[in-house]
Formats: sequence, structure tokens, C-alpha cells
Amino acid sequence: MAEPLVQFRAVHKAFGTYVAVKSLDLDIHRGEFLALMGPSGCGKTTTLRMLAGLEQPTSGAITIEGKVMNDVPPHHRDTPLVWQSLALFPFLSVVENVEFGLRMRGIGTKERRDRAMLWLDRMQLKGFEHRRIDQLSGGQRQRVALARSLVTEPQMLLLDEPLSALDAHLVIRMQGVLTRLQKELGITFVYVTHSQSEAFAMADRVVIMGHGQIEQIGRPQEIFRGPRSRFVAEFVGRNNILAGQVQAGVMQSPQGSVPVGAPDGPAEIVVAADRVTVSRDRPAGAAIRAAFLSEEFAGTGIICYFETPDGAEWKAQVSESQLSDLQAESGQEFWLSWDPARVHVMG
Amino acid sequence: MKALGALGWIYLAALFTFVFAPIAASVVFSFNSDRFPTLPLGHFTTDWYARAFSRPEVWEAISNSLIVAGVTSVIATFIGFATAYTDFRYGFRFKQAYLALALLPPTLPLVILGLAMLAWLSQVGLSGTLTGIIIAHVVLATPFAMAICRLRLSQMDPSLESAAWNLGAGPWTAMRYVILPFCAPAIVSALCLTAAVSFDEFVVAWFVSGLNRTVPVLILEILQGNVDPQINAIGTVVFLTSMSLVVAAQFMIFRRRRNG
Repeated sequence: MAEPLVQFRAVHKAFGTYVAVKSLDLDIHRGEFLALMGPSGCGKTTTLRMLAGLEQPTSGAITIEGKVMNDVPPHHRDTPLVWQSLALFPFLSVVENVEFGLRMRGIGTKERRDRAMLWLDRMQLKGFEHRRIDQLSGGQRQRVALARSLVTEPQMLLLDEPLSALDAHLVIRMQGVLTRLQKELGITFVYVTHSQSEAFAMADRVVIMGHGQIEQIGRPQEIFRGPRSRFVAEFVGRNNILAGQVQAGVMQSPQGSVPVGAPDGPAEIVVAADRVTVSRDRPAGAAIRAAFLSEEFAGTGIICYFETPDGAEWKAQVSESQLSDLQAESGQEFWLSWDPARVHVMG
Repeated sequence: MKALGALGWIYLAALFTFVFAPIAASVVFSFNSDRFPTLPLGHFTTDWYARAFSRPEVWEAISNSLIVAGVTSVIATFIGFATAYTDFRYGFRFKQAYLALALLPPTLPLVILGLAMLAWLSQVGLSGTLTGIIIAHVVLATPFAMAICRLRLSQMDPSLESAAWNLGAGPWTAMRYVILPFCAPAIVSALCLTAAVSFDEFVVAWFVSGLNRTVPVLILEILQGNVDPQINAIGTVVFLTSMSLVVAAQFMIFRRRRNG
């Protein structure tokens, strides 16, 4: 395998006594779309800022193309960043914003104007080049920010929650724009987000971070179906976790005893919400009893919330017709069941 | 916003009358032929202006005032901007003390400041020179420049500067192409306001000016001799100059053009 584009080796970053990133080891490959995901304060943004040279690691080494970059100032790197706030220059026109990076590299007036116009065209912003930034819509600004970062033809683009300020329908569209762009350019995208839907929809690989450390790295499907720790399972969402003692293929848990395919001893299993079946009568196999609490309309279906007798929250994804068949009322008890072969055993 | 009621308008009119009536009267009497400011008015004349501005010491004072105001505004704005930028960009120990000290001078009683300046400037041999007045006025005016620049920097997205670095600008280039353009309205405004502060300032100038009188010092000297409508003429010119500067400063701060 080719040498990774970026390598983090035992990278440690502390702000005073607060440790933001702990002994991070991470390879970023050429041409991949990598998402750094985690709750706020997990160190994902600090990791990105260290890559751009905006923060220096306290210890450890960051190499880009085999060269140690720890002490290289941001303006001597080729790591353009799309900012959460976009950070467009309000006193410059659209085309002047896009030209900025070329201007800083000493490229002549004519050439930089031509190259900027090419990118504006590509971002479907032709005709807007002399507008001021405050005359653009949110989606247009987003594309100006992308054009400004990409005009210097970098081999890597860093994105810091760039879609967090957009309306939901624009987010979906921009996700399409970003993935297409990344495939066309063939460059590396490093995308920081706390939104699992963004990360899973776009990334080739997802890095889940928590408390300054990497919790799990993998393809979206791997992480979604096979969370390695309770932290990941809970963060990824719509997962139910059952913990208990396994003996002869049966787990004794506070929610009840259910068959599992796990060796004897303590175990935790993850039952994804879309694999839970809700019924009034006790089905055969793995099932626990829980009281209906409420339902929530999500993009892909309806999430029903239940509470088990010991107070644990369970989620089940159902369709609209299933929900109306159930005629569920708050406080009514149901059976939640699943196929023991389709659960994930953690550890 | 709620519309202003009739009472509100009356109150506003009364307030502005109270503030501006004396100034308006001074302007009116500067064009009045009578020797003393009494009603009814005499006839219209520009005679007082002609007399006032035929005196060489008036021209000398105006020239002094303009030099002092011009140089003061440039130095005070430069220091004020640098102080505000330091506050914006860096975190350090005793920052609160730094800010308090930087904003202190206008809160000192002017008589005290004037006396202190006189004592200190005579020690270093600058008392009675334009340089001395400039130094004293820079001390007085810098906090205003700093406050204006600080307000503008507080409206700036802090990622803007990092974005410039990220796109290949070194620290000084980022200052030149991002920070200064962003702060341009505040800088022009600070130049106008500090010029106005210096142009109007009397107490400290009176202590340190010696024979190099500025306009406010000269006005008092003429006034001590006798009451003469020439004072109204000079006063009108001074008032218009200061007002223009202050209005220009306000305009730059509050217009909503190209700001983020």
C-alpha cells in the first residue's frame, strides 16, 4: 500500500491542564473522504486545526507526504480549510475572495482572475462574481468558500462542520456537491462533523473520537452495524444496548433473559432500532417487555420510544402502518423482539 | 421599533433646543452688526469674520491647531489600533489591568493632567513647543481611537485572520490584506474623532502651549481682553470644523456598508 498522505504519530495536545487530544495515531490516505466525528469537546476540531498548522502538537509528530510538519506555520502549508463560519472576507467581492489564495502566492492579476472565474463557473456562481458576500444566500456562500479553498488545487481539503449553518434541504444538496467534487478531483477530504448522517452519507472512512482519543475507525457500515464500544453505539444513535451475564447461550440482563450467540461471561449486545419488532403478544425467541412512551417522526420511518421495567430506554423503528396497527398508547406494555442472529456482540 | 408620540417629539425638540440654542445664538451674533449681543438684531454683516481673520495671530493659532490635530490623530490612531489589536489577538496575564490603564487618561481631571504634562514636558525641554502639545494630546486622544478600533475588531469573525493564514498569507500580509481593510471604517473614524478631540482641547493645551497658542487658547485670551463678536466668528469656524469631524466619525462607525 502506498505511503499515507498524512500520518499522526502519538500526537498529544494540551491547552494548559486540559488535554484535547491524547496519543493520537491516524493515517489519512490519498484520495479518501475521511470524516472525523464525535461529540463536542472530543478533539476532532483540534485534530483538524493541528493538520492546518493553526495549533501545534504538544508532543508527537504530524507528517504530510513524509515530511514532519509540526513547526511549519499555516501559511507555508497547502491545507486549505472550509470554516464552520465560512470566514469569507466581507470587504472583498465574490471573485476577490476566490482569488485570495492565488494572490498570496504571487500569481499575476490576469491568471488569478481566469482561474477564479473557472472555479466560480464550476460552482455555478457565474454572474455573481462582483456581488458582495452579504448579497449571497447561504448555499451560495458555501460554494464561494469551497471555490476559495480549491482554487489553488490543493491535494487535501479540510472541512470544519461546513454544513452546520444550512437548512436541512440544503444540507442534503451540499452533501451531493461535496461527494461528487471529491470523486472528480480525486483529492483527500478531511471532514469534521458531529452529525452522523453527514459523516455516514459522505465518508469512505469514519473516525469516531471521544475524550481526545479514537474510539473506532471504519467504513460507515462497519461502524453502524458493529460498534466496538458502548460510547460508539450510543453516539451513533438508534441503538439499544443490553448488558448482562451469558450462560449457555442465554443472557441474564436487568431487562430479562434472552438468547444470544455469545460465549459465557459478561457481554454487551447492540440491537439496532430498525431490527426491533414491536408486538402485543409474546413472540418466540429473544424478546423483552417495555412500556410505550412516545413516537418521533424521523427521516426514514418512525422511532418509538419504550421504557423497560428497570428504567432503560429502548428504541424501535416502525413504519407508519405498523404504528397504526399497534394502536399504542403511552404506558401500554409491549414485547420488543429481534432475531438473535442479527444483533452485534460488543467486545 | 415604536413610533415616537407627540410628547416624545416635544421632548426631543426641547432637548435639542437646550443643547444647540447657545451655539446657534453664537452663530447668529457672528453675522450681526451690533457690538453687543442684544435683541433686536442689527443688520447682516461678515465684518467680524473679516476682522478676526485679518489678525495674524488667529491664522497662526489655526495653523498650530491644524498641525497638532493632524499629527495627533495619526499617532493616536496608530497606537490606539495597535492596542486594540493586541487585546483582540493575544491573551495574557494582567490583561484587565492593561485595558484599564489604556482607557484611563480621559477619566483623569484635565487640570491634573495638564499640570503633570507641564511639569514633565518642561523637564524634557518640550514645554511650549508644538511637539509638547502633540504628546499631551496623543495621551488624551489614544483611548478614543482604541475604543473605536476595539469595537470594530469585536465585530470581526476571529476565523477571518486564520483564514488568511490558511490561504497563504503570513502574519503581516494578513494584517495588510484582511485586518486593516476590515478595520478601515473604524480607522478613518478614529482619525476624525481624535483630530476633533485635539482641535477642541483647551485645558491641557493652555498649560503646555506657551507662546504656540492653539485656537481654543487664543479664544480665551481674546475673551479675557474684551467681549468682541470676533469671538463668535472664530467660534463658529471652530464649531463647524469639530462638528464635521465628529459627524464624519459617526458616519464611518454606523454606516452598514460591507461589514460582516
